[in-house]
Amino acid sequence: MTNNQETLEGLLAPKRTRIQEFWLLFKKNRLAILGLVFFVLFFLIALAGLFLTSGHDPVFNPALIRLQEKLLPPLSTPNPNTLRPDEHPTLGFYLFGTDNLGRDVFARMLQGAWVSLTVGFVAVGISLVVGIFMGGIAGYFGQNHIRVHHILATCLLIAGAVFAVLGHVYPAALLVAGVALYILGMLRTKQPHKNGPLTSWLALFRMEAVSIDTLIMRIVDIMLCFPSFFLILTVVALLPASMYNIMIVIGLTSWMGSTRFVRAEFLSLREQDFVTAARALGVRNLRIIFRHMMPNAVAPVLVSATIGIATAILTEAGLSFLGFGVPPPHATWGNILSDGKRFIFDAPWLTFIPGITILLVVLSFNLFGEGLRDALNPKLRER
Amino acid sequence: MLSFIGRSIIQKIVTLFFVSVVSFLIIHLAPGKPSQIDPLNPKFTPEILERFRQEFHLDKPLYVQYLLFYKGLFTGETVSWKDNQSVLKKIWERFLNSLPLFIVGTILTWTLSFPVGIRSAIFRGGFYDRSATFISYLLISVPGFFVAYILIILVVTQLHVPVFGMETFGLQMASWPTKLMDRVWHLLLPSVLGATGGIAVLSRYVRSQMLEVEGQDYVRTAKAKGLPPDQVHYKHALRNALLPFVTMFGLILPGLIGGSVIIESIFAWPGMGRMAYEAILARDYPVILTVNFISAVLVLAGTFVSDLLYLVVDPRIRL
Repeated sequence: MTNNQETLEGLLAPKRTRIQEFWLLFKKNRLAILGLVFFVLFFLIALAGLFLTSGHDPVFNPALIRLQEKLLPPLSTPNPNTLRPDEHPTLGFYLFGTDNLGRDVFARMLQGAWVSLTVGFVAVGISLVVGIFMGGIAGYFGQNHIRVHHILATCLLIAGAVFAVLGHVYPAALLVAGVALYILGMLRTKQPHKNGPLTSWLALFRMEAVSIDTLIMRIVDIMLCFPSFFLILTVVALLPASMYNIMIVIGLTSWMGSTRFVRAEFLSLREQDFVTAARALGVRNLRIIFRHMMPNAVAPVLVSATIGIATAILTEAGLSFLGFGVPPPHATWGNILSDGKRFIFDAPWLTFIPGITILLVVLSFNLFGEGLRDALNPKLRER
Repeated sequence: MLSFIGRSIIQKIVTLFFVSVVSFLIIHLAPGKPSQIDPLNPKFTPEILERFRQEFHLDKPLYVQYLLFYKGLFTGETVSWKDNQSVLKKIWERFLNSLPLFIVGTILTWTLSFPVGIRSAIFRGGFYDRSATFISYLLISVPGFFVAYILIILVVTQLHVPVFGMETFGLQMASWPTKLMDRVWHLLLPSVLGATGGIAVLSRYVRSQMLEVEGQDYVRTAKAKGLPPDQVHYKHALRNALLPFVTMFGLILPGLIGGSVIIESIFAWPGMGRMAYEAILARDYPVILTVNFISAVLVLAGTFVSDLLYLVVDPRIRL
């Protein structure tokens, strides 16, 4: 019996897990491997930068101003006669030179690495959470309809919120209490009364207005109408300058792509047999979504997320360039670059070092993302 | 067909309405007020502030402001808060300045990316394809303002030509060839920079589209019956690969107004993007909202045009 089984398994093709297969495909793409190596390297450097440049007495102090040492080219050594011993650069020389205030550009680049990484990851994280949530609802529950009474309840709730904002406490409390009562009533009576004088009125309220799928896709259409960089610029300029605002704004203006991906995947997955089987077994909706469908739907989203991080880093650099980036106490590559542009003829390294670093990092993210896309693409698997 | 057009127009108008509401809310609910833009100016007394608020309806409730603003926009009466000029007139002037940039950039994008994409699809995996792929990733990844500065240094120090602004000041009396060359030099860098990203993306897209068609059975048949390779590539494959690009003509419409804020500010080009940037700095709400509204109209019009073109071009789609 066991012997038979062994011969059977011997006859089958060598069994590879999904990850092994993926890795085999990915390895062939040399540019993608290069991207991955840079990606890991950058991550480690950024992590090291966080520890080396923060705290009370950092190893590399990005904020230390030495006016007598300003605009020194890369690899130049400090003049020991004019510096206090604690002002000496940690390496003994200025690896990337100094800027117009005599700050060590290497230390600033290290600090900026972490900031850029955070901006990229948090912004993409926000857009992924919103995108997966909206896309999941549209794809899985999309056929359900929103009824007229749902819309009325939402309108009442918004009116209550408006009253609360304007400072009218009593109408606000009244409206919110009304909506709460209404929701309680909804939960109590699942089925409407079949007979009674109110039936026709109730039928009007229970009329189907619009399907959830249509609603969410229209919201996506609306968001796509805004010119994205202009919208980000407007909101960032109107809000008080802070690193978190920039991340949130970039995240909230870039979720439409992942919503569309997740929705499309969910629409095809929910018709598949394994989902039907899970549903027939009585598995709860949430478990079907997160355990059975999400692992199958997440691949294209991950690819767009990798490229999204690259785009977010570029967007932050662009905002910094226009003067709306992460505010001064933090150094970012974008604001090192935009500070350096005034000295482009006297101190070209202030432009070239951050510029080339941004280029390398964004390039590595893009190459890695494209490699992922190729490796995860089932069409390319046989070729 | 007609019912499709009607439905899609109604849908687009509804979308436009929501876009107008959302952009209005974003601008007006953001913290800070336009009347506080210059709090240290001694001429800004509370009385003047009050007059300012009344003049621009800032003391009215939000929905009244919304109605007044869009009424003004459609009747063409909206004025900029900064200099009291008609917003539509201002935008039209800037639009005419941005137009040459847009036209040259678009022509560059569409004429360069097709040969590059087709060639790398035909010689897939070869040296040309690999280097084209790498260069296009490089162009996508590089920050535009960084390239701009490198190019400025190169052009100014090597070629000794003017690059900033639209034309050299004080050249009005020169002969027309001098003037023409002056304009061309000023136009060159910004439009090339504006086109780089587009070339990179579009050539990749052309390549993947070509590859898809080259894998089809009818292309294999054409090759098998011994047709010359040029005829297979350009007659059988390319014509079918072109289909999606017809619809992309509609999608370049929004680029008309978006322009590039960054490129236009670097080159001091008085175009739309720069005007929008200045309006944001000055909290000139009517200008910001109008630019936003017009660009939303262009996006919607662009998708509409591309839907229509698809209907015309692709015989498989019949409604």
